[in-house]
Amino acid sequence: MTEEGRELDPATEFRQLYDQQYLSVYRSIRGVVLEPSAAEDLTQETFVRAYRARHRYTPTAPPGAWLRRIGINLAISYLRRQKLARVLPARLYTPPDRRDYDRAEARDVVTKALATLSPKLRAAIVLHYYDGLTRDEIAAVLGVPAGTVASRIAKAVAIMRKSLGSDQDLGPERSTSEGALRGR
Amino acid sequence: MKVPYVDDKPTRGGFRTPSDDDLGRMIRNTVESWRPQRGPDWSGVLIRLANSGPPPWLLYTAASAALVVILLVAFLVGSALQIGALGPQPVPSNLH
Repeated sequence: MTEEGRELDPATEFRQLYDQQYLSVYRSIRGVVLEPSAAEDLTQETFVRAYRARHRYTPTAPPGAWLRRIGINLAISYLRRQKLARVLPARLYTPPDRRDYDRAEARDVVTKALATLSPKLRAAIVLHYYDGLTRDEIAAVLGVPAGTVASRIAKAVAIMRKSLGSDQDLGPERSTSEGALRGR
Repeated sequence: MKVPYVDDKPTRGGFRTPSDDDLGRMIRNTVESWRPQRGPDWSGVLIRLANSGPPPWLLYTAASAALVVILLVAFLVGSALQIGALGPQPVPSNLH
């Protein structure tokens, strides 16, 4: 939404939409791929795909959700290709340069905990906790039923809490993952 | 003297786990700390658009149309020149 409270139209205001949504789309994608350089590349590609499809956008969901859907699908496809590339013979596969990621992020316990999740669970967690989307909105972005979103969030929360709990002492256990199942 | 109860029961393995609120806050803080190195680059989007060529649907449509034309021309030429299976077939002479 703009300052005036209206949503931008991708067909006529795409440039403004790019400036407005770039950072949040980047963060959502990085939450899935966890690699800064790949996330930037995929963010640009998201806007390229969205620009080509801008006239086909229908305002059933906000433009931000539409962009996230494109971006997260691209991110999951990227990770699928990476996984496939790892089973190819070594000379056909050039691994991505992960030195900056390893250096900057290895100490980040939350990123490490996110890395223990599958890409689909990471997408649900980032959309829920960072973007603040409801189950129904996440379901629309990911193209799955709302019940699937709830179970993914609950599963991801359980894995992350266990992972974070083994990394640091944050105080007594106070609640269960049921909170994640609550719609907003 | 009464001492207030404090639940400090450790979880399995002797470690403690964060609450949902803590977890949500930690995720939000982490994600909000992520900043792109290059940042928004609209000219980069325009360059990608210029270099990306025709959209896939146009490519597939054109390829399908070309295949149909090739098959049709091959059929017409084969019929006109009576080539292969499109030519007159020999009639078996031992049929009564």
